[in-house]
Amino acid sequence: MHISFLLHNAYGIGGTIRTTFNLAEALAARHDVEIVSVFRHRDEPTLGAPAGVTLKHLVDLRRHSPGYDGDHPDYQAPARVFPRGDGRWKQYSRLTDTRIAAHLRTVEADVVVGTRPGLNVHIARQTRRGPVRVGQEHLTLDSHGYRLRREIGFRYPLLDAVTTVTEADARSYRTRLKLPGVRIDAVPNSVPAPTVAPADSTAKWVVAAGRLTKVKRYDLLVEAFAKVVAARPDWRLRIYGSGDATGNERDALRALIEQRGLHNHVHLMGPANPLEPEWVKGSVAAVTSRLESFGMTIVEAMRCGLPVVSTDCPHGPREIIEDGVDGRLVPVGDADAVAEALLGLIQDDELRRRAGQAALAASRRFDPVRIAERHEALFAELVARGSGAASRGRGRDALHRARGAVLDAAYTARYRAADVLRKGKRA
Amino acid sequence: MTGTTDASRPKGPRADCVADSAGGITFDMAGHGAGEAPLPERGGEPALVLRRRGAAPAEETRLPLTPAGGDRSRAVLPSTVELAEGHWDVSVGDRPVEPGIRDVRALVDRVPGPSGPVAARVPYPTADGRLAVRSWLRARHAEAGDLTFGEGACTVEGRLYGAPLGAGAVAEARLGDEVREVPASGEGHAFAFTLPYDRLARPSLDRQRVWQLWLRPSAGAEPVRVARILDDVWDRRNVFVYPESEGEGFRAAPCYSADNELCVRVTPLP
Repeated sequence: MHISFLLHNAYGIGGTIRTTFNLAEALAARHDVEIVSVFRHRDEPTLGAPAGVTLKHLVDLRRHSPGYDGDHPDYQAPARVFPRGDGRWKQYSRLTDTRIAAHLRTVEADVVVGTRPGLNVHIARQTRRGPVRVGQEHLTLDSHGYRLRREIGFRYPLLDAVTTVTEADARSYRTRLKLPGVRIDAVPNSVPAPTVAPADSTAKWVVAAGRLTKVKRYDLLVEAFAKVVAARPDWRLRIYGSGDATGNERDALRALIEQRGLHNHVHLMGPANPLEPEWVKGSVAAVTSRLESFGMTIVEAMRCGLPVVSTDCPHGPREIIEDGVDGRLVPVGDADAVAEALLGLIQDDELRRRAGQAALAASRRFDPVRIAERHEALFAELVARGSGAASRGRGRDALHRARGAVLDAAYTARYRAADVLRKGKRA
Repeated sequence: MTGTTDASRPKGPRADCVADSAGGITFDMAGHGAGEAPLPERGGEPALVLRRRGAAPAEETRLPLTPAGGDRSRAVLPSTVELAEGHWDVSVGDRPVEPGIRDVRALVDRVPGPSGPVAARVPYPTADGRLAVRSWLRARHAEAGDLTFGEGACTVEGRLYGAPLGAGAVAEARLGDEVREVPASGEGHAFAFTLPYDRLARPSLDRQRVWQLWLRPSAGAEPVRVARILDDVWDRRNVFVYPESEGEGFRAAPCYSADNELCVRVTPLP
């Protein structure tokens, strides 16, 4: 098959980029695979180009480049096709509308895969007749605002399939949106086998890693660790990561560490890339988030041989961890439960060793080769069936397009009205 | 303008490394192995070169790169090869080496034998993305451990290497020619001392002072610098952060220097 991914920015850093690279590289072993990056702001992909995969870009933002697009007049005009409800809307423009449209009108592929809602909408609206259209959801339906849920609700019927990273999210898509004839499958993210030897369960360190933002609830982990230290002062905690555009809890966490007298036991390590050699410095991993769209760090830690104590938050953790076997699931927001679960693994060397080995074995199901096989099987089935043909037919497609156009106008009018109202209130 | 990335552009050499607890480091390189195009070097033998930053005259250690199967080659820095204290930049010929995966777990929580000398070598990525090795080499060394805090004072616990603790042991805070001394207690190789901050704030401050901490293991013995070097953290300034205490007209807190040496920072209150 010829498979074409459409990605926001293949040159940045992020979970979606990493996951798309892993998948593309694994698929490239047997298929013709390209990644089309809407934006390019540097010469080389920060995460390293995936082997065997063709990388293309549509809008060049490298100032030194002869093809620099930043001065294009359309670059300043707001996007019309890329949906406003997508959090990246401000980065899109009339220029991306036309560049993406030109790409999708001429794309030489059997399967076109979008990697975020806004791009999935582009694919639904602008892909030429022929290729199978797949929209990937790397976050969750719940995490999208009302506006985006409505927009994808009336655009996604023109996709052939939507893939989510958890079964829980796939259920949301099946029950909360009406997407007749659209196949909805959960395929988890993949994590490659680490290149370092797994942890041997002897280090007296708990390791956590993620952005230092409120949703990760590292405050809860610090509180829990105060209880761990009271029982086992020989154990310590490392938290890797930094803040992001949505916030930085570093100072608040540092104040909490100081308040609890944990300056000898809890260390904010700053960002680390790659994380594998950091996980293996520990024997237990901890995740105390309020929400995890998937739970990539849980899988990463397990692939390094660490049992993970995680909150049983929506959506991913319970689909990754088998409670009591390869890790622990504890109620969300309960520091005592986190401490108890950590101490359970800390106090029992044999249990910790066994759970670590179970984590190592269980996490092999997330290997890129195995995950790619699941995507590949889905793509092959859809290609065999033909895009939209079997279930919906051309007429329905056209009807939907017409309906889409009408709804477009209606939504635009309504949003304008809403904006006016909001501005009025503020004034 | 749309376009394609040329992924075949050659990249700089990159090394994965594994550190052992004795101080040895193994460097594994992919794609730039011994069998590749001749490297621009004396003698023609491929080698990984460690050069001490800022050393005059130049100081370098050459580690032969030998085939390690497949497309890989390997260089080994044995624990027995001495590296002077400092930062050693890693290169192949004149090309800097990029850091790959650094497996330095064996350095975490290291407790060497008490006799000294103490050698610590941590492979690390520099701010501009190159691989370097931070080396400490001390005949005698006072390793700082946990710090605890009382009213207007901090207590430093640690472990002494290369010298016995004896009668008359003291800790010294030094700032230029000024020295403040407090008694140190010790048992075996474990030492502890408590430093009242107000002694570091007199005479009254007009600007920030950063006092360096030393340990004199017994009466008349040469002082030993207090530092923390026996783990994988090559720069702990932002990782080991301690509570600040407020005294009359000043704030004070222990901190680490860029070289992982323990200090006390005293800042005048506005």
